[in-house]
Amino acid sequence: MDWELRRSGGRLVGQPRGRVDDTTWEAFAEHLTDGVRQAAAADLPLVIDLSGLDYMSSRGLRALTMAKREAGDAVRITLAAPNDRMREILAISRYDKLFEVAADVDAALAGDGRPEA
Amino acid sequence: MLVRFWGTRGSLPVAQRAEAIQAKIVRALLAAEGRRFPDEAAAAAFAEGTLDFATYGAYGGATSCVEIEGGDGAFLVCDLGSGLREFGLDAARRCAAGHPAVYHLFLSHMHWDHIMGFPFFGPAFDPGATIVIHSGHADAEEALRRQQDEISFPVPFDWLKATFEFIVHPVAEPFEAAGVTVTLIQQHHSHDSYGFHFARGGRSVIYSTDSEHKLDNMESEAAFEAFFADADLVICDTMYSLGDTVSLKQDWGHSSNIVAVDLCHAAGAKRLALFHHEPTYSDADIQRMHAETVRYEELVRAAPPVLEVICAYDGLEVAI
Repeated sequence: MDWELRRSGGRLVGQPRGRVDDTTWEAFAEHLTDGVRQAAAADLPLVIDLSGLDYMSSRGLRALTMAKREAGDAVRITLAAPNDRMREILAISRYDKLFEVAADVDAALAGDGRPEA
Repeated sequence: MLVRFWGTRGSLPVAQRAEAIQAKIVRALLAAEGRRFPDEAAAAAFAEGTLDFATYGAYGGATSCVEIEGGDGAFLVCDLGSGLREFGLDAARRCAAGHPAVYHLFLSHMHWDHIMGFPFFGPAFDPGATIVIHSGHADAEEALRRQQDEISFPVPFDWLKATFEFIVHPVAEPFEAAGVTVTLIQQHHSHDSYGFHFARGGRSVIYSTDSEHKLDNMESEAAFEAFFADADLVICDTMYSLGDTVSLKQDWGHSSNIVAVDLCHAAGAKRLALFHHEPTYSDADIQRMHAETVRYEELVRAAPPVLEVICAYDGLEVAI
């Protein structure tokens, strides 16, 4: 799994690529924590761009929860651009009820993410 | 080995209300589309071949009780939930046909839904029966005796006629029970719970219920992956969605369907049985959860072989 963190349109955008599974979740969690801290320091929301992610297992999802706890009220986290597989995983895990999910990064940048019904 | 589920519901026994039965009948009538059947057998064949499980069947509402058949002439039973009553009746029938009245009962923990069947366990009143209760808890006997106290039940423990033995086992130290090798693992749950690994003749069954896999301790899951390794069947607590276990129901001591799949994948287990169903779930809810779990397994499967995901229900038998 690769990770890129960039600033775009008044937000920080973290983009994992590949898959988050048993072998990569710890690195993913560390990147997320770093992203949250940078976002908090810069007083910016954080968008996780999922477009380059093949899939995420439960450990990746739980890393997202840890990041959300790290963020608290200080950093708003939005998930963006999940592929069809990730969208299904978010629905099955009910993480689409816990996180704002935007159709794409632009929508997230425009603040158009919300928990999916 | 043969695994027989006598109780699969979590926390509290449930019974179908009339509305639930009526809804099943209505769905069945709609599916029949005006067909006529010459007899009940033909109608049953149509129903079995056409209707989904939530319509033609039911997951049941008895709490945790699972029998593992395959020991040397003794009964092996995991947990003493309300399903134990039905098991006891069936065991008496089998004993009348010549089965030895020797029972090895394995107790995951002593929360009420896991011991509530014991006061109604017929073999406990049989002076010819031997009942060995295996547990990781030093206070297992106290819990069963306390449940029989007059304030809760009219028959005190000392009035029971069977010969009892309580054995407390350390974790990770295999022991033999009726020719089956049994090993315990400690699990995260209020007052602790224990999972059991049963092995015989190159086959293995895992019973792991009331086990929360904590968000902030994912490193500990390696121990469970090792415990589940290459198992033929893993019976796993899948009471909630992952989202529930990390939010509203965090620290309630239970796991999710997708964590169970991930653990089984990592362990190379062959089959996962979803277990300890949420008592508020309808049959349709459990069926949906099962379908979602099968789909999740497919979505995250890195490579063959397929992990077969089955959904436990009261009365299910699984040959190992």
